[in-house]
Amino acid sequence: MMFRRRNSAIALAVAAAAVLSGCAAGGQDTSGGDTEGGGTLTLVATLSPTSLDAAASTGGNAAPFYQAVYDSLLRAMPDGSIEPFLASEWAYNDDNTELTLTLRDDVTFSDGTPMTSADVKVSLERFKAGTAPGASWLNNVETIEAPDDTTIVLALSAPDPGLLSYLSRDAGLVESGDVAESDAESLATNPIGSGPYILDTSATVTGTSYVYSKNEDYWNPDVQHYDKLVINVIPDATAALNAIKSGEANGVRLANNKNLAEVEGAGWTVNAGEINVFGLLLLDRAGTMNPALADVRVRQAINHAFDREALLTALQNDAGVVTDQTFPERSAGFDEELEGMYDYDPEAAKELLAEAGYADGFTLEMPSTASVGTTTYNLIAQQLADVGITASFTDVGNNYVSDILAAKFPAAWIGLEQGADWQLAQFMLAPDAVWNPFKYQDATVDELLQKMQFGDQAAQDEAAAELNAYVTDQAWFAWWYRPQNSFATDANTAVEMNPINIYPSIYDFQPKN
Amino acid sequence: MGFFIVKRLLGGVVLLLAVSLVAFTMLYIGGGDIARRLLGENATAEVVAQKAAELGLDRPFVLQYVDWLGGAVTGDLGRSWFTSQSVFVDVSNRLPVTLSIVIGAVLLAAIVSITLGVLAALRGGWLDGVVQVISVIGFSIPNFLIALGLVVVFAINLGWFKATGYVPIGTSFEGWIASVTLPIIALSLATIATVTQQVRGSVIDAMSRDYVRTLQTRGLGTGIVVFQHVLRNAGGPALAVLAVQFIGLLGGAIVIEQVFALPGIGQLTVQATTLGDVPVVMGVVITTAIIVVLVNLAIDLAQAALNPKVRLS
Repeated sequence: MMFRRRNSAIALAVAAAAVLSGCAAGGQDTSGGDTEGGGTLTLVATLSPTSLDAAASTGGNAAPFYQAVYDSLLRAMPDGSIEPFLASEWAYNDDNTELTLTLRDDVTFSDGTPMTSADVKVSLERFKAGTAPGASWLNNVETIEAPDDTTIVLALSAPDPGLLSYLSRDAGLVESGDVAESDAESLATNPIGSGPYILDTSATVTGTSYVYSKNEDYWNPDVQHYDKLVINVIPDATAALNAIKSGEANGVRLANNKNLAEVEGAGWTVNAGEINVFGLLLLDRAGTMNPALADVRVRQAINHAFDREALLTALQNDAGVVTDQTFPERSAGFDEELEGMYDYDPEAAKELLAEAGYADGFTLEMPSTASVGTTTYNLIAQQLADVGITASFTDVGNNYVSDILAAKFPAAWIGLEQGADWQLAQFMLAPDAVWNPFKYQDATVDELLQKMQFGDQAAQDEAAAELNAYVTDQAWFAWWYRPQNSFATDANTAVEMNPINIYPSIYDFQPKN
Repeated sequence: MGFFIVKRLLGGVVLLLAVSLVAFTMLYIGGGDIARRLLGENATAEVVAQKAAELGLDRPFVLQYVDWLGGAVTGDLGRSWFTSQSVFVDVSNRLPVTLSIVIGAVLLAAIVSITLGVLAALRGGWLDGVVQVISVIGFSIPNFLIALGLVVVFAINLGWFKATGYVPIGTSFEGWIASVTLPIIALSLATIATVTQQVRGSVIDAMSRDYVRTLQTRGLGTGIVVFQHVLRNAGGPALAVLAVQFIGLLGGAIVIEQVFALPGIGQLTVQATTLGDVPVVMGVVITTAIIVVLVNLAIDLAQAALNPKVRLS
């Protein structure tokens, strides 16, 4: 009898020991620091970086992971301007086919080695040859030369108005050339950059919690506002909201605008930015898959079918701005007059359809995905049905983006990033744009793109305006709204939103006092 | 007994092979455009194709599987396509977190359900009724709802526990308690409900046996009878149920880890499966299969230890 009791006691002790030792051995502290941590900034991101190698940088929601450890050649400011960073000055030649950048000479990497143009050359070449999403941004860069330690010259095959913007983003991140050439694989988990913080590899749990400590030898203390930086990955929106309510973070990007009142009720501030535009992409403008879309009147009719204000209320809780046009408000191409071109008018829509020969309507095939929920697609079906168009959805699950980009559907609903003007044009409008899967070509658009590419700033701005007006008039898309990009900060933290990236820059976070 | 163990382990290896092939096939068929998902909507088709070639996604199925298998049997589970972290390191960092809440939940469930089950069986009456109701509630409410409720009340409103994140016991004992208590409670409730019923039934059944009456007429108190004799007999079925629950809890931990943002296997699995991160998913599948085989073996051995009449064959 004693034997049996002792056995169970031993068993219990062994199990307890397993539980406790398991906790000690595995996992590091992934708890969000509270603000009393004295100089620690705890951020929440919705996804983790694929690899901390600068050549694989994806930007967007993963931008802070890279910005913490790497500097970019140029810096994109909250007001949209571009300022010096690792490059103290730059200049184009006369026909904009050669960009010369002068680099600072007081920058060192976290391993103590000084940064020179050789490192910049290696970084740019690796990015261009790699598989980062932005790798194609450097397609026009033919050669990269480093005539001396502080000069870098990019020779372009054709002018690229977006280049300066790209160099202020992922394409411009500079990593240690020595490490990249001798042990590139290590950069994926142990980045060597010149940035304001250094990754603490022992405290970091890949995919969950990234811990950085202040780089004491950083060349630009003005943008270093914290001693420690922790970025926790919380993909679940509810868990992120709980982190806000329990004060386990200082800054959290909100996945949607459904809980703004709750966030503010917890004493946090909702910082508003804009980055995306949502609506229908009417991709098959030549009518190869769906002949109806070839007629501009049909596309315009689709535009008139949507009650944008109601959609903004239903889907974004009114947080955002309705729009008819493709370029964002901060762009030189934006025209207030274009707003309201497609007011909500089902009758006008039906008339246009009748004129185009579709008085009895037609069927529009589009993809859907369960991960977005059903409300959006139901609303689309409803509002199109009101003008006689039957929306036929096919659930494609995780292949939503890839199926659209593979031209499997003539139209689709989605939100797209509105980058700087040339980037936007290359992203959505050009014949070989990623988001022009049917490769639709239009002579007017081609002409305007040429003007943008080869003109000076004034010509570029003019071309952007004309392009915007043209594709809006031609109803290439049926845009709905630019939703508010909401970023929540606690009472002790201030942030300035960045117009060209969904996640604010590390440099723009400051403690409030 | 040694022969029994070896036979079971060999069977386990065959199981691992079968499971890995099925999982790999499902990933291959349902994967879709993984390279595109990796790179997002900004990348051009050329970059996506380059990435696909880099990952070997354009090779035939058999070649991809054999490649993975060749690495796996030597312990090289590859690197995550999405984080470049070694799969082995990732899994071994995260497994203890998941095991700690799962084992914690099983222990809590065992203690609570044995207590409640025995009390309900012996006392009967209103206590039995209360235990029945608790069981039904614990069984029917999904554990993530319970988890969310616990978070709102105890973490956000009262501030007694952490709402998100994990603190290892080595860093801070209080922190560890604060981070695992709510997940363990949430995870254990359905198991408590099930096992309580099981224990109650087994104890009632055992108490009606002749040997119990014999022991009681010999003057042994109910307590001694229950603890030294009845539980040992009722233990077998309860242990079997607990084993099944343990396996199920490994799956249940997925949701709990999402709610509490715990860096365990569950969170890793969800992320990897959604993205199509084949090396990681395969690593998790193999790890879980190994755990299942070992747990089943352990339970069979424990059953034999508890009841000499059980013949291992």
